[in-house]
Amino acid sequence: MEQEIEIMTEIKSETTQVVTPAVRGPVAMQLTNVAVAFHGRVAVRDCTFDVAKNRVTSLIGPSGSGKTTLLRALNRLHDLTPGAKVTGSISLEGTDIYRGNLTVTELRTRVGMVFQRPNPFPTMSIYDNVVSGLRFNGIKKKSLLDESAEASLRSAALWDSVSSRLKVAASNLSGGEQQRLCIARALALDPEVLLMDEPTSALDPIATLHIEELMKTLKERVTVVIVTHNMQQAARISDDCAFLLMGEDRAGELIEFDTTEKIFNNPDDSRTLDYTLGRFG
Amino acid sequence: MSELIELEEKPLEPDHGMREEIRSISDSVRARRVARSRIMVALCGVALFIAAVPLVALLYQLFDKGLSQIHWKFFTTLPMTPTLVSPNATGGISNAIVGTIALTIYASILAIPVGVLVGVYLAETDSKLATSLRVVSQTMAGAPSILMGLFAFSFLVHDLNIGFTAIAGSFALAVLMLPVIIISTEIAVRNVPNSLREAGLALGAKPHKVSLKVVLPSSITGIVTGCILAISRAVGETAPVLLVIGGGFTNSWQPFDPVSAMPLAIFENAKSEWPSQRAQVWGIALVLVIFVFILSLTARIWASRKQQVRN
Amino acid sequence: MSQIPNTGLLEYEEMVADNKPATISRTWYHWLLLTAAILFAAVSVGFVGTIFWSSFPTWAHHGITLLTGKGWVSPSGPFGGLAMITGTVETSVIALIIAVIIGLGTSISIVFFIPRRFRTVVATLVELLAAIPSVVYGLWGLLVIAPWMEATVNPWLNSWPFAKDIFGNPGQEFGTSILLASIVLGIMILPTFVAISREVISVVPQDLMEASLSLGATRWQMIREVVLPTAKIGLFGATFLALARATGETVAVALVAGSVADAQIHLAYPGTSIAAWIATEFGESQGSEISALMALGVLLMLLNVCLALISRALVNRQRKILAVV
Repeated sequence: MEQEIEIMTEIKSETTQVVTPAVRGPVAMQLTNVAVAFHGRVAVRDCTFDVAKNRVTSLIGPSGSGKTTLLRALNRLHDLTPGAKVTGSISLEGTDIYRGNLTVTELRTRVGMVFQRPNPFPTMSIYDNVVSGLRFNGIKKKSLLDESAEASLRSAALWDSVSSRLKVAASNLSGGEQQRLCIARALALDPEVLLMDEPTSALDPIATLHIEELMKTLKERVTVVIVTHNMQQAARISDDCAFLLMGEDRAGELIEFDTTEKIFNNPDDSRTLDYTLGRFG
Repeated sequence: MSELIELEEKPLEPDHGMREEIRSISDSVRARRVARSRIMVALCGVALFIAAVPLVALLYQLFDKGLSQIHWKFFTTLPMTPTLVSPNATGGISNAIVGTIALTIYASILAIPVGVLVGVYLAETDSKLATSLRVVSQTMAGAPSILMGLFAFSFLVHDLNIGFTAIAGSFALAVLMLPVIIISTEIAVRNVPNSLREAGLALGAKPHKVSLKVVLPSSITGIVTGCILAISRAVGETAPVLLVIGGGFTNSWQPFDPVSAMPLAIFENAKSEWPSQRAQVWGIALVLVIFVFILSLTARIWASRKQQVRN
Repeated sequence: MSQIPNTGLLEYEEMVADNKPATISRTWYHWLLLTAAILFAAVSVGFVGTIFWSSFPTWAHHGITLLTGKGWVSPSGPFGGLAMITGTVETSVIALIIAVIIGLGTSISIVFFIPRRFRTVVATLVELLAAIPSVVYGLWGLLVIAPWMEATVNPWLNSWPFAKDIFGNPGQEFGTSILLASIVLGIMILPTFVAISREVISVVPQDLMEASLSLGATRWQMIREVVLPTAKIGLFGATFLALARATGETVAVALVAGSVADAQIHLAYPGTSIAAWIATEFGESQGSEISALMALGVLLMLLNVCLALISRALVNRQRKILAVV
């Protein structure tokens, strides 16, 4: 584990004073004054924080606070939505992902995503699903595909249970297994960052716990940013926490960003405290 | 699956050995992939354009050639056959217009009541008969319209010896309209939310009264839409009437007289050796298309009104 | 099964499968509905029955020469339907190829590339295209496209090396030919194909598409590797439905194919189809010829029913696949 060097720096954002501790070691992604608006209506704003490498950063807050909207800005999924505008700067390893010298397709091979409901491609087998990302990107060499498939299925703790039936249709797996398949699929490209949008909310409790266990080892391989509406989950699995809340103008804003320990035990902002105590949902 | 919370297998130690190879291969191919995507997307756009061209070209020709044919006399005089002496004496198409309207009215009288009732039956009954009738009406909806003409001929003209009359043509058109009305009525009735039905039943009303007084009124827009669509289809069909109406040359409304129709007039005169008759045909086509468009658009507007009410 | 506004085939099957409970009690209302249902059943039985019945003499006297014979001799036979069958196959298949290639690109464009605000306009245009009566297409084909083909396309086609083998010499009289009929037919069934394929493509779940893009796929890769395979079965359903429509088209083909009972494969020659032949010959037929035409009608009915049933089965399978997703 990296030595934790905390340098307290005060960075004033536009409307509220948010104390954003800088780097806890190397940084995977940096967000500065990020805001997302749809047809002029702001959905989330004032997001400034650093996603540290090989740690799990969770975005928490009640519904409507813009967590998922923010997450989707990180792999430029909003490019698909007409009328969506992302302002501020988001950088991956120092390169601005919107304005820098980085194509969208390249970005997405370095920043992967897992969705709320497991979504393996229905017409493909388990193997084809896992290597689909590699194939999209032009990799055809069988040995490379096989190696990546095994490595990522192992990382998703799925190898032992599917290695004997790789050619079986992916829809044969249970919900939890399908989600782990999706994780493996995203990991096959060996991304630097893995975005997870409420990955366990559609799963049963046992499958949920399996995946939470998984995340503890996943972070050794990738940096994880996870959106969760389940506070306890965030407390269990994440290292750093960003708390977002919907403001009076119905736009979500970043209230506080810090280590999970601080957010849950001793937050700076009273609203954070209210949320973690369950005073509002 | 184990009941334990612990994972059964320990994930591997992270090894990024393949990352370089993956990245270098994908970087080298990227430009080509993106270019290919752009080309294919453009081709799809071209396809859309190609699909639009015939429509535009057809409509242009229709208006270009047909508009000059339209004048008051067009609608009020009977057709004439050009002769060498007066090669432009084509007359009008009053018989065809009267015929089309008469046929449509009679066909609607035959088809709409039965069609709506069967549609309601299909929506509210769960029997073998209902399932088979549903398949039957779907199949008939796609059946070649000339078969309806053969049916009408076989049954009415031949067996019942009614002869080449408007009634025979209306029968053929009614058979054509029935499946469309049945299917859209069924959809309209099924679209009525169950909660409405249950509310009626909860108030103590008998099921059939609920159906009559609650469900049907709510589905009326959908039913009307279906009827308008069925009519619009019947107006334009040639094949069913071709065989059985006899191509009358009068403005008769009598069901037992032979009658003409606009599509029939087009079909008969399109190959005429007289350029003036061929030109006249464009006028008939234009009137027919405008008629059908108005009906289709009305149905569409009506249907979207239903959507708005639903929302 | 076209022209049902706002409710596509998939949605309809969905609705039926949900199966609302019967609410009818045994009252006059119930009997009224049942009567109507029985009446409709009688009509449909009569529909099939009378045509079969009228065609009987032909099967009895001429056996299968209807299927194999080359010439059609009015008024008393022999009645050979090979030319009509060949013509139907040729025109429908070529029309289908045209419609599917252009139609697929069109539906993809409509679903993915047209901005939301234009979608109703485009959908309305497609519907209007479908609503234009076939006789008007026939007229346009005959008086506008045929001369144009005579003048422009045929000479160009004839310059191909194997042109004579496929096309033969350009047709006479107004330029009518199998090729022209195929093209006009293709334009006519295009809206049918587009309407259904558009529906089938647009219900592929959004998050499958997002998942593929998140893996770095290009838009085309997303469409080709994920959307189309997922919608594949429904697309086949759309194909069969369009094919069913093509085989049944009567007056457009009758106007532009040339109405010649000549079974050959050269596309530039005039020919006919089953439906078109019935339409053109019926007016002046008597007795046994009418029975022969009815027999052709039976062929047409069987063909159409098979295609429609296959199409329905495919669309239902597609619905089940999507339900699992």
